[in-house]
Amino acid sequence: MDARNTFDFLTNPERFMAFSRWAAPLLGVLSAIAAIAGLVVTFLVPEDYQQGDTVRMMFIHIPAASIAIFIYVCLGVASFLALVFRQALADLAAQACAPIGAVYTALALITGSLWGKPMWGTWWVWDARLTSVLVLLLFYLGYMALRGSLEDEQKAARAAAILALVGLINLPIVKFSVDWWNTLHQGSSTFMAKKGDGLPAIYAWPALLMGLAYLGGFGALWLVRIRALVWRRKARSLSLKLAETAR
Amino acid sequence: MSFDFDAGKYAVYLWPAFAISAVAFAWLIADSVAGARRWKRQAERQQAELDELKP
Repeated sequence: MDARNTFDFLTNPERFMAFSRWAAPLLGVLSAIAAIAGLVVTFLVPEDYQQGDTVRMMFIHIPAASIAIFIYVCLGVASFLALVFRQALADLAAQACAPIGAVYTALALITGSLWGKPMWGTWWVWDARLTSVLVLLLFYLGYMALRGSLEDEQKAARAAAILALVGLINLPIVKFSVDWWNTLHQGSSTFMAKKGDGLPAIYAWPALLMGLAYLGGFGALWLVRIRALVWRRKARSLSLKLAETAR
Repeated sequence: MSFDFDAGKYAVYLWPAFAISAVAFAWLIADSVAGARRWKRQAERQQAELDELKP
């Protein structure tokens, strides 16, 4: 099968609108089911022998942080497609995922800080992991500010796409900061962590379900926000046509 | 197994984390859906106006 035809629904605005019309609510419902199940299991599992009840925060902190990085990858790929292949829908996709990524990153920082105070004895420390995640948030905010600050939308899109691509450099720093430097933030504590460092197996279900909820939530919100931007572009082009017709 | 909502001395950190996350998601959902509806309505209204103007 021709790859161009396979992904046509992601590059052709009309087909995208038809696809996202059912995909967005479906993802939203699946995400809500995963969130409800995840929250139920979060408060059913026993407290951790070291972290006590604060371990429950891990089930909202880890997904927020992991998906925030994933969203930036989506922002980078969409920006690349918009910049190099001039795909209008890719530009809208990039624009749509920035606010969601910013909120996810902010949630990762806030929930991490609320966990850090009782466990580390401090709200914040300028270690490599925390600082690189703060830089990630600044890239999201910078992207949105750049798009909003230039009147020429094409110039704004191009400048923001370049900024998004530059920001990709920060992703391996976020991921490997705990390995490259001696940080207060612990190494990976997911189930892929080195033996002995990971969370106990009993926490696999809440972590998995909340991870799926956060991922599905991003998917649904992303589609809805792209749809909003497609409608906005159509409204703007219609207002130009109306102005021409009225002359 | 039973629900454990008693976070003891950690409640002051645990509940704000969940509350802030819930508020953030509620805002994201409301803002995204409201934006999509607003622009869809505007595009449809302008399309109708344009159709009326056409001979």
